[in-house]
Amino acid sequence: MRHGGWRRRDEELEEELRGHLRMAVRERVERGETPEEAEAAALREFGNVGLVKEVTREMWGWVWLRQFGQDLRYGLRMMRRGPGFAAVAVLTLALGIGANTAIFSVVNAVLLRPLPYRDPARLVTVLHDGWKPVAPANFLDWREQSSSFESIAAAQLWSLTLTGRERPEQLEVLQTSAEMFRVLGVDAALGRTFVAGEDQPGREHVVVLSHGFWQRRFGGGTDAVGRQVMLDGEPYTVVGVMPPDFQFAPFWATHAEAWVPLNLSRRVSDRRGQSLRVFARLKPGVTLGQAQAEMEKINRQLAEQHPRENEGLTVSVDPLHEKVVGKSRPALLIILGAVGFVLLIACANVANLSMSKSALRRRELAVRIALGAGRWRVVRQLLTESLVLSLAGGAAGLLLASWSNTALASLGPDTLPRVRTASLDASVLLFTLGLSVFVGLLFGLAPALHSTKTDLIESLKSRAQGASRGRRHERVRQLLVVVEVAVSLVLLVGGGLMMRSFLRLTSIDPGFDPRGVTTATVPLSGPRYATDEQRAAFFQRLTTQLGSLPGVKSVSAINHLPLGGDVWTLGFTVEGRPAPPDAERPAAVYRVVRPDYFRTMGGALLQGRDFTERDDATSPGVIVVNEALARRQWPGEEPLGKRITVNGEGSKSREVIGVVKDVKQGEWASEPQPEMYLPHLQAASPRSMTLVVRTSVDSSEIGSALRREVWAIDSDLPVSRVASMEEVVAESVGQQRFNTLLIGLFAGVALILAAVGVYGVMSHAVAQRTHEIGVRLALGARGRDVLGMIIRQGLALTLTGLAVGLAVALALVRVMNSLLYKVSATDPLIYGGVAAALTLSALLACYIPARRATKVDPMVALRHD
Amino acid sequence: MPKATRYRNRIELLQGTLDLLILQTLQWGAQHGYGISQAISTNSGEVLRVDTGSLYPALHRLERQAWVSSEWKVSENNQRVKVYRLTAEGKKHLASERSRWEQLSEAIARALNPRAEEGEA
Repeated sequence: MRHGGWRRRDEELEEELRGHLRMAVRERVERGETPEEAEAAALREFGNVGLVKEVTREMWGWVWLRQFGQDLRYGLRMMRRGPGFAAVAVLTLALGIGANTAIFSVVNAVLLRPLPYRDPARLVTVLHDGWKPVAPANFLDWREQSSSFESIAAAQLWSLTLTGRERPEQLEVLQTSAEMFRVLGVDAALGRTFVAGEDQPGREHVVVLSHGFWQRRFGGGTDAVGRQVMLDGEPYTVVGVMPPDFQFAPFWATHAEAWVPLNLSRRVSDRRGQSLRVFARLKPGVTLGQAQAEMEKINRQLAEQHPRENEGLTVSVDPLHEKVVGKSRPALLIILGAVGFVLLIACANVANLSMSKSALRRRELAVRIALGAGRWRVVRQLLTESLVLSLAGGAAGLLLASWSNTALASLGPDTLPRVRTASLDASVLLFTLGLSVFVGLLFGLAPALHSTKTDLIESLKSRAQGASRGRRHERVRQLLVVVEVAVSLVLLVGGGLMMRSFLRLTSIDPGFDPRGVTTATVPLSGPRYATDEQRAAFFQRLTTQLGSLPGVKSVSAINHLPLGGDVWTLGFTVEGRPAPPDAERPAAVYRVVRPDYFRTMGGALLQGRDFTERDDATSPGVIVVNEALARRQWPGEEPLGKRITVNGEGSKSREVIGVVKDVKQGEWASEPQPEMYLPHLQAASPRSMTLVVRTSVDSSEIGSALRREVWAIDSDLPVSRVASMEEVVAESVGQQRFNTLLIGLFAGVALILAAVGVYGVMSHAVAQRTHEIGVRLALGARGRDVLGMIIRQGLALTLTGLAVGLAVALALVRVMNSLLYKVSATDPLIYGGVAAALTLSALLACYIPARRATKVDPMVALRHD
Repeated sequence: MPKATRYRNRIELLQGTLDLLILQTLQWGAQHGYGISQAISTNSGEVLRVDTGSLYPALHRLERQAWVSSEWKVSENNQRVKVYRLTAEGKKHLASERSRWEQLSEAIARALNPRAEEGEA
């Protein structure tokens, strides 16, 4: 409606002004002038018709909108006229903006999104040393004595088996105080959460389900409340279901799918068993510092009252959010910085491109300004054109990001909390929009200001550019390219360092051979496996059964899988030595294995022998240790034959019958600790063991065979975490792989963009100097000389960029130290290699325009403008 | 570029005064743009020449402020002309602007000739 109205007003205004002119002419003619004289005079007196129209139109209001519409249409027309430029610019921007959007979606999900609780900034954790769990008696005292918290609650992880009509399943459940949901401030979506007192004996067999669990086991039926589930063989009544986006705990026990009350009645005075993690909500007006001070005071008092158990314990009150994201923040920010650099290079490229574009239009712009358009009006129009490009680039980038989003979310390691929920939500879209606008202004402002700040007369002359202005222009473009080369050097160095670090990391010998080994964990629970003998018998029978399957080379089992499972340590005493003080008692990683374990895993038995079926409860106690333990306890001596007593086994002495090579235990990057292996039939039989099977067939078949065999013995047992050992190993370096892949990708993109940038500038330089080249050629220079001249110029630019980049890299790269493994941030090999790669690409990029320069026909060039 | 600023300056400085002149001209009857500019020129003894770059913006602004109204008429020569007319609001505005202008010019005259003031009885 507005548009039609404006057109009508425009036409009317035209008619009105024309009428004015007509009457003026008529009056002059009446006064005696000839029609031609009258017209010329009247027109002169009238003035600039277009300008009058425009100033008049301004009185109508809404000018900016009309002008914006004009600019937009003009911008689109310009794009259509130069589709090559537009395509390249939009593509470059799409790459830059898209990559940033993708990474930002991860950063948003992991670092920025608030936790799914009420007022999450007031939630804190209260733990020893900031991470160690707390004993029940201490927790209860804290609850009673502290006044900084509105509410405080504890949680404990319970891994159990879910049995019932469907297949048995391994489940992670959190046992929490009845007030936990009050601390979190979240209500159930269906039914209710715990009421006060439900953590007391007799009332604690209730359970609250997560949304996912409810969907999976109850099909999302609203009749779930009131039904019963069998947890570890005991019936629990469902009282509520949580909303879909609720998750607790956000760290440590992130896969918990149900919550039951925590009954501490039998552990009220247990001050030793540190198994609880404590969460609390600060009272309004209480600061973190105040809470910390109060807890320290309470902790000190408790240490005085109970010196034996609490001595040396510290307490720390930390924001919950920090606990969740603290560890992931550095890596993600570095990745965000890297992708920001890529965008910088992309912008520099587009700025270069648009500068050459605007140089061609200088005459047009000068004419417009001479005709009366304000300088700012023209600048605004040029900026609108840039914005059109950048918004188009942003939209394309968004498309790119949405395609890569699923890949990114699934590639993200489990160590990144909430990474699976990374999506292009409202904040990400807003970010993309803001970034596109910013980018458009960034690369559009300088050229716009520059090309309108002209000496009008110079520009209107027939020569397309004055020499001095051309030189200034050239300087800016050279500066841009130097910046590009510098930034890509920084990125490439970062990428190179990460890749070298990752290669070093993954080439470490884990101490075993993961190829061809499949693993599966079988947890035992319920009355059928209440005694050591029952459990031992089960695993014995299972491993024998599995050993007879076709394609199976050997089978064994271990209580905790290296790299994939837990790391428990236990103290021990070396016989024949005086007992060291408590604090210096040696401890080793505690492993319980079935016979043939080392052969199955491909580990190396350096000395002695492996366990056999004969090492059982009736035979003498034996133990196998790793090199680290042997080195530490018996340096320079023969370890075989020495005797050890393991804590908790009374006076049972064990003879060292074997020494094995060190094996990676918990984390890939840490050094192996002293480790001891006990034979399965001679140790307290674990409730859960991980089977390891070395096969000569495809592992997918063996997985189902494993399950079959387990269920043949007992169909109520879950078989969880079936994975090949190679997958387990890969997962343990998942975080590093993620970081390396991303930074490496960005470095590669940066290299390509920088090469394109160099090519662009050199092309333009050659075009600029066509006249000069023609003169040189005419005066007798050979093609080779011209080639050399161009290449030298390009090289000079590149080397300047390298020098700047080197300085920046040396300064910035130390920030990456936390991500690198045994690679120094100033590794000369990497720097040298990257500099060489960049120089080579730059040379290649220069070569084409240089060759073009030699093909210049002197006669044509001399006549060139 | 110089031309644009000239127009703008003109309008800003004389805006109030130009409005006054236009409204005053229209008091004597509806008139089209060309006629208004001729009238102002004539009535000021050829001293004031309003150029189109000031006149038409002023007219359209006055119309937006509802002090004048416009309509398209057919002139004697069978041509369409846009004719402006003073509104009731415009009349009131004219009256108040006139008195303000007279106060202003009196004050300026007095300020320029202080001795004459003292000399008066």
